[in-house]
Amino acid sequence: MQGGWRRARAVGLAATGVWLAVASTAVEPPELSIVVDSEWALGLRGPHSQKLEIVAQPELHWGLGTNTRLTAIGRLRADAFDRIEPGHPRATEVSSLSRRGSAGDHVDFELREFFVETQWGRTWFTLGKQQIVWGQADGLKVLDVVNPQDFREFILDDFDDSRIPLWAMNAEVPIGEATLQLLWLPDPSYHELPEPDATFAFTAPRFLPPQVPGLLASLEPTNRPRRLLADSDAGVRLAAFVGGFDVSLNYLYHIDNRPIFEGQRGTSPLGPTVTFTPRYRRTHLLGGTFSNAFGDLTVRGEVGWTSDRRLSVEDPSDADLVGRTGELAYVLGLDWFGFQDTLLSFQVFQSWLLRDETGWLRDRLDTNLTFLARRELWNERLRVEGIWIHNTNDGDGLLRPKLSFELRDGLTLWAGLDIFYGRSHGAFGEFDGRDRAVMGMEWGW
Amino acid sequence: MVKRFAIALLAATCLVGAAAGEGLPEGDEIARRINARDDGNSAQRTLEMELIDRSGHSRKRSARLLRRWFGQEKRLALFYLSPATIKDTAFLVHDFPEPGKDDAQWLYLPALRKVRRIAARDRGKNFLGTDMSYEDMKNETKVSAEDHRWTTLGEEACSETTCLVVEAVPIDEETTRAVGYGKVTYWVDPEVWIARRAEYVDAAGRPKKSALVSEIRQVDGIWTAHHIEVRSHKNGHRTVFRISEVDYATEIDPDLFTERSLRRGVR
Repeated sequence: MQGGWRRARAVGLAATGVWLAVASTAVEPPELSIVVDSEWALGLRGPHSQKLEIVAQPELHWGLGTNTRLTAIGRLRADAFDRIEPGHPRATEVSSLSRRGSAGDHVDFELREFFVETQWGRTWFTLGKQQIVWGQADGLKVLDVVNPQDFREFILDDFDDSRIPLWAMNAEVPIGEATLQLLWLPDPSYHELPEPDATFAFTAPRFLPPQVPGLLASLEPTNRPRRLLADSDAGVRLAAFVGGFDVSLNYLYHIDNRPIFEGQRGTSPLGPTVTFTPRYRRTHLLGGTFSNAFGDLTVRGEVGWTSDRRLSVEDPSDADLVGRTGELAYVLGLDWFGFQDTLLSFQVFQSWLLRDETGWLRDRLDTNLTFLARRELWNERLRVEGIWIHNTNDGDGLLRPKLSFELRDGLTLWAGLDIFYGRSHGAFGEFDGRDRAVMGMEWGW
Repeated sequence: MVKRFAIALLAATCLVGAAAGEGLPEGDEIARRINARDDGNSAQRTLEMELIDRSGHSRKRSARLLRRWFGQEKRLALFYLSPATIKDTAFLVHDFPEPGKDDAQWLYLPALRKVRRIAARDRGKNFLGTDMSYEDMKNETKVSAEDHRWTTLGEEACSETTCLVVEAVPIDEETTRAVGYGKVTYWVDPEVWIARRAEYVDAAGRPKKSALVSEIRQVDGIWTAHHIEVRSHKNGHRTVFRISEVDYATEIDPDLFTERSLRRGVR
């Protein structure tokens, strides 16, 4: 199968080369920019530094005639401490074409995005490695699952940085004032999860193989789909501006980015056993979004129905210790711009498992609330903001106050706190001991 | 005695006012002439913005600004080109012709890779850190005629010509709140029907900001301002706008004024 991927890569590179050669009859000078971020995270419960990293992100845009252009975005990251992901993470969840490279334990590099955009008639095609973002929610996701996510720092990284770009064909077809987006994603890459010795390794039961008393458990390597065509994802999105509302209908036929620990029972001289194999299973996601402004208030929302959500169950009578259910998830957000230079934003996220089953490792109805307050001062030179995410089921959450100051053109300094709270079985509470103070700078030219 | 004095003062004020506006166009007519000025069906230009604070510290941004009429509806799109940290930020407004109907506005934030619908009611707030308001950006040296009561005050020398001085007062409290000022006085050049100067005062009558418009010359037969400086009196901040690469002749693809184009940007 690796041979198949190598062939696909060769074909892709050849096609790109041909494309560039043909399209370069009216080449414009390439436009190059670079953004350098540095960040220091100091643990508050140690105290010791979680990271001291510098990230350089060069970006190239190259016009190949009036209706065609090439974009390439790279990333080079160096960390002085190597505590976020000790050693060299294997990242087996990500296909070899999309995986990061490394130079020792402290440095990794990646071709983040590489795509050609071209227009045929009114239709735009985007071909190559890219990010495709759906949905209206901030901070937590319902429909923004086309690209998988790197959880090396849980959800603390900007999604733009933690989203794993995929090789894809993306067509946007205007239909009157509406846009039909068609996607084909032949890149079998999934969420990159931290290894057990990582700073933000998951420890909450819902993310781990289930524990059943009396069963000796063992874990097999992850079984990741690898077939180019049969395991590819496809999606369609119809977006329009109707009666003052921005609306979209979304459908994604995909393999869930989260692995499920499927158990296989057995026996041994020491007693009954279960062997868990993390697998990825296909599902349908059907949903939609809306937004509109009413005076100083913007209302936005998204909803998604997942046909086949699989979750671990701690029920000794369940053969594979996996429960299957449909899931309905939605977000409703309110953004209020009533005060000068100030945004107050509130969101409610709910996920409802449509089938009840004994031994779910989460509540059937799971609710997260988020609150964002942001104020711009001194003609947007200084930004003060606070983000609060709270899970009402587990009583845990995350607080993120932050101060940013634009020192001069393209140079911004910032400082903040990432404070987790709650009990260890919660998605946020599990990181209660990882509270940190962060400071950094962003420099672009 | 006091009553007689007040009556005399009122009469004198009326006489002076009449003399000031005598023979000059009515305020509403000046507003109409400003808005009747040909600005082409579409326009594209590069905008260099220099944001300068009270201490002289300066930040620069550049953007491509596009505008096109769709019947009576005006659509405006702005795409940031630099600096690298805010490049690809984009703003889109659909200015509907129906009276009382709020504009629809979208902002594309590259860090989120999402197009956000933003509230359009508060037209007077500063546009992305500059000293121009969202209303100023949208009007492009024209005016919101129907939202104000217009009064001609007289004539004054300005920028080596003689300008008509006209005062615009928001028609009601809600409009005052929305536009963010209590009164604005324009010095309008009747040769080109562009205000060369504007002085804004807040609802309490305190100076709010000043605008100076210069380097007015024709491009494709259309009078165009190439330099605008807006100074805020509240905090001493000012923004200098330099407009270049103006093009009214080339038809702009209507698809550029859509949410999908905000994501893609212009190069």
